[in-house]
Amino acid sequence: MTSRTSRLLLFALAASVPLLLVVLPIGNFFVMSFWRVSDNVIVPDATLANYAGFLENDAYWRTFLFTIGLCAAVAGIGIAIGYPVSYFIWRLRGRIKYLLLLLLILPLFMSYIVKIYTMRSILGLNGFLNKFLVFTGILDQPSTLFLYNRTAILITMATILLPFVILPIFLTLERIPKSLTQASADLGAGAGTTFWRVVLPLSLPGTAAGALFTFVLALGDYITPQMVGGPNGFTFGRVIWSQFGLAYNWPFGAALAVIMFLFALAVIGLAAFMAARQR
Amino acid sequence: MSEQENMGGARRAMPTAISRRHALATGAAALSAPFIARPAFAASRNLRILCWEGYAEPEWLDPFKEEFDADVSISYAGSVDEMFAKMQGSQGADFDLISVDTSGFDRYIGAGLIAPLDLAKIPNSANLSPAFQDLPVLMRDGKQYGIPFAWGSLPLVYDKAQFDAAPESWEVMWDPANAGKLIALDDANNSVTLAAMVLGLDDPFNLTDAQFDMVKEKLIAQKRLLLTYFAGFDEGVNIFANSGVKAMFSMGEPQVAGLRDLGVDAAMAIPSEGAIGWLDCWEVSAGAEDVDLAYAWVNACLSKEVGTILSDDKSYGNAVNEEANTRNGFTYADQLVFLEAPEDFDKRVTVWNEVKAAL
Repeated sequence: MTSRTSRLLLFALAASVPLLLVVLPIGNFFVMSFWRVSDNVIVPDATLANYAGFLENDAYWRTFLFTIGLCAAVAGIGIAIGYPVSYFIWRLRGRIKYLLLLLLILPLFMSYIVKIYTMRSILGLNGFLNKFLVFTGILDQPSTLFLYNRTAILITMATILLPFVILPIFLTLERIPKSLTQASADLGAGAGTTFWRVVLPLSLPGTAAGALFTFVLALGDYITPQMVGGPNGFTFGRVIWSQFGLAYNWPFGAALAVIMFLFALAVIGLAAFMAARQR
Repeated sequence: MSEQENMGGARRAMPTAISRRHALATGAAALSAPFIARPAFAASRNLRILCWEGYAEPEWLDPFKEEFDADVSISYAGSVDEMFAKMQGSQGADFDLISVDTSGFDRYIGAGLIAPLDLAKIPNSANLSPAFQDLPVLMRDGKQYGIPFAWGSLPLVYDKAQFDAAPESWEVMWDPANAGKLIALDDANNSVTLAAMVLGLDDPFNLTDAQFDMVKEKLIAQKRLLLTYFAGFDEGVNIFANSGVKAMFSMGEPQVAGLRDLGVDAAMAIPSEGAIGWLDCWEVSAGAEDVDLAYAWVNACLSKEVGTILSDDKSYGNAVNEEANTRNGFTYADQLVFLEAPEDFDKRVTVWNEVKAAL
């Protein structure tokens, strides 16, 4: 065997895994989104009825828009909290820096469901937050305002997804050469000016990546909104979920999934385009 | 995705009823993988059962195997869909017996997967309680397709400390005075069915478009009073216990015990409008090989002893032993509306989604 064919073979082998496990299922969904269900049987077809069904039902596209807004807000909150935290860690010196970073990343090793339950026990009527507020006299009695509403979704999602914001921001901050900040100081810029004109612009790619991660992950999360959002924790992921199981409307579910997938793809593509233009 | 099943099952041990009830009440694909138990010894006859976990227990399986010198292979289904897929895959030829609930009859009979029964071959059918004899939901064209075995309900569960007397109507779930202190099961079919019952509609399983509009309006009105929806036995119990909830549209009787374990003085009620009931039956597969042995199994399951075990040890209502039912509080079979196949499941899911998307 020549080295060329063996290299080709190796490439084919490596490519087959993502092809089989990622591209093929998504392609399958895409194809199925043009099929239909007739008498509890999924029938191949070339209909746009599933996409029309989405547009015709205002409950669906309103939920879609609401979900996008919610996820954008989660990403915004994530950046608002995550950037200062990353910056603070970056400015630390010595061993404590990486220890703190590790502590903030640690929740990633925890089960996702456990994290939701933890947040719920913190925000709940008998939860830590209420106990603390009553103890300190800020509240007279425990409040139900922290859980089972949209605020709770924002708090919980932003908290759970925080490591995905902190990590990329921290990494871009780390990559800023010390010489640049030193040069800025040498040229007479104060700490504020250095931050606004040197550090912030250079850390924007990581910030955008963090926001994107959070946004896309939030978009696909239909468990958290449902578990902490109360009666109004209904998101588009849940609409997709409801088409499977007993409803057995896989083609419609596939069409909804394709809509969400294409939207996420468009957001990522737009971000990549803007990043490329900035260079 | 399986998170929901995880959060129900993993947190605390509940009666064996869970896996079965969960599969039924949510219609979601449960996790449990099918597994086949095969006895080591060789026997002359063979019986193949497809059922829910808990329906072929050693207490009545072992004596049966001995009496008929039979080899019994059991496949457990994790969800309603899985069970149907397994039967359809072989057109019933892979199994002699299955335990389908009343809501599956249309689907199975329509696909020709189960055979009409000859009650003369099941002497113990005389043991059936009056509430389970000649149930219309079991009949098609004058023929009976299922023999009732285990049952339960989706009752109203309330906190006795917050009520002077047991609520007599589901309307407590619509009472503005209880706003923020109510939770309800997140399930399209059951929610629509219950709302139709509360509205007093004739046939809660065959709704017209106008009736769907009424149901939707009713459910949206309720939504505005709810603290949250829940989707799992433990989830409902935990939210109820930790949030000062007054009443809930529950997933089943075991939630009462779960609440008591957490210190809530909980009780269940079957309000005047009735409650949704599930009824699991034994059916003989259209592809059964040893039909006589299949009948013998159904007959064995209808013995008073098995009924006693079902209610005393497994927390199910049984169909043959009223004493055991009474002893365990299962006294309301005649007030239940046993699930039937709905007119259009897809439509119900759409309506439920619209309710949940409403502001």
